[in-house]
Amino acid sequence: MKVAITGIGIVAPPGVCKEDFWQNVKAGKSFISPITRFDASKYPSQVAGQIENLNTNPIPRRLLKKIDKFSIFALIATEQAIKDASLNLAKEDPYNIGIFIGNALGGWLYAETELRDLYVEGRDGVSPYLASAWFPAAPQGQISIFYGIKGYSKTVVADRASALMAIGYAAKVIENKKLNIAFAGGTEAPVTPYALLCCSTEGSLSKGLYRPFDKERDGFVVGEGAGILVLEDVEHALKRGANIYGFITGYGSFCDGVDRIMPDPNGKGLIKAIKAALDMAGYKPTDIDYICADGVGTKLGDISETRAIKEVFGKKIPVSAPKTMFGYLLGAAGAVDVIIALLAMQEGIIPPTINYQTKDPECDLDYVPNKSRPKEVKRALIISRGRGGINAVLTIERG
Amino acid sequence: MGNIEERVKKLFVKLFDMKPEEVNLEANLNDDLGMDSTEIVELTVALEKEFKINIEDGEIKKRHCVSDVVNIVKNRIK
Repeated sequence: MKVAITGIGIVAPPGVCKEDFWQNVKAGKSFISPITRFDASKYPSQVAGQIENLNTNPIPRRLLKKIDKFSIFALIATEQAIKDASLNLAKEDPYNIGIFIGNALGGWLYAETELRDLYVEGRDGVSPYLASAWFPAAPQGQISIFYGIKGYSKTVVADRASALMAIGYAAKVIENKKLNIAFAGGTEAPVTPYALLCCSTEGSLSKGLYRPFDKERDGFVVGEGAGILVLEDVEHALKRGANIYGFITGYGSFCDGVDRIMPDPNGKGLIKAIKAALDMAGYKPTDIDYICADGVGTKLGDISETRAIKEVFGKKIPVSAPKTMFGYLLGAAGAVDVIIALLAMQEGIIPPTINYQTKDPECDLDYVPNKSRPKEVKRALIISRGRGGINAVLTIERG
Repeated sequence: MGNIEERVKKLFVKLFDMKPEEVNLEANLNDDLGMDSTEIVELTVALEKEFKINIEDGEIKKRHCVSDVVNIVKNRIK
């Protein structure tokens, strides 16, 4: 497979444009802060990666109140990605552009607020926009309406693997010549009372620091935001003289099928997914310079991921979880990780896994602890995993 | 109580971020003001609250003008 990546749009706690975002990620800073939007004192995790004072350009005020935050994030990231790719949409066939968005939860801030009004005030208290605001495919629809995009599109809901699956799926559709261009990525707005509760009940949220692979780890911290890539047929990109960041070269996905929450302890499904992605790309394990890990931060999650990586790549390969800086963006995480890997390739710098202090004998890889590391990265592999044993793996190559 | 026409126009401006000069009596809800069916539901509920009246679902239609809406409200208040 060879599909070009020609545009990047990012809305995340470290920055709402690729320059700010990358400066901060490279510096290894933490963007996790206490939740003050609602009373989080009774939650196991009272911190999150949050975006404050978001500039909502180019969304008109009339539209703003009809959509949930997760659509707002997605629209802003898409606008950036279109500009970054120097795409003139007026010159493109709208039936040859698709939208592939990953999302895990839906737009719960809108849903919670209106459902409260339904039970308190009755049906007249509910916004008529609720039905079209909260559901997971809303961002896909809003992007399509806003930009007049009419091609083959899809929303992918697969827990924390949603965005990476959406990107893998979009790349396959372009590879099969069904589309010239796809806006692919994910969006998530989980910093709301009910959404956070959903994340809490399974026991995967950390009570303190988000520190995957560390002996003291106890889960992840959530973050909000969106990442959107412009994927393009290589010929189409070359013809219009586009800047090509890199190429998507392989994708693989397998399920563990062992438990409602937990992965296979030995990462069997992940191993299969890694091998499938490498096969599709035509790579040997030694061709990969950097792995952007899932790094969920649970005891078993990190052990199984470590075992799978070790089985295929051995112990020397640098593996990092930059999401430690800004939280796990759930259904948007894979897109943000692909963007990080692309920027790492551009500059030859691997961003770190922060908060890493105590070695765990069961997690014995090179996790690039706490500080960025200069290293040439020609090819990278990105891992996203979801509850119930979902594994998705993507390989990319420098442009 | 104030002028009913003015209060109706003000609701349009507040709810849909319209300019006051856009909302004239001849403006058609769909063609001129770009309102969709969901916005008409929102308008209906807001009018019911503002004037403490009951308007049936579907009574205000896309093809109506602002003057039709004002008339519906005036008839109810009587």
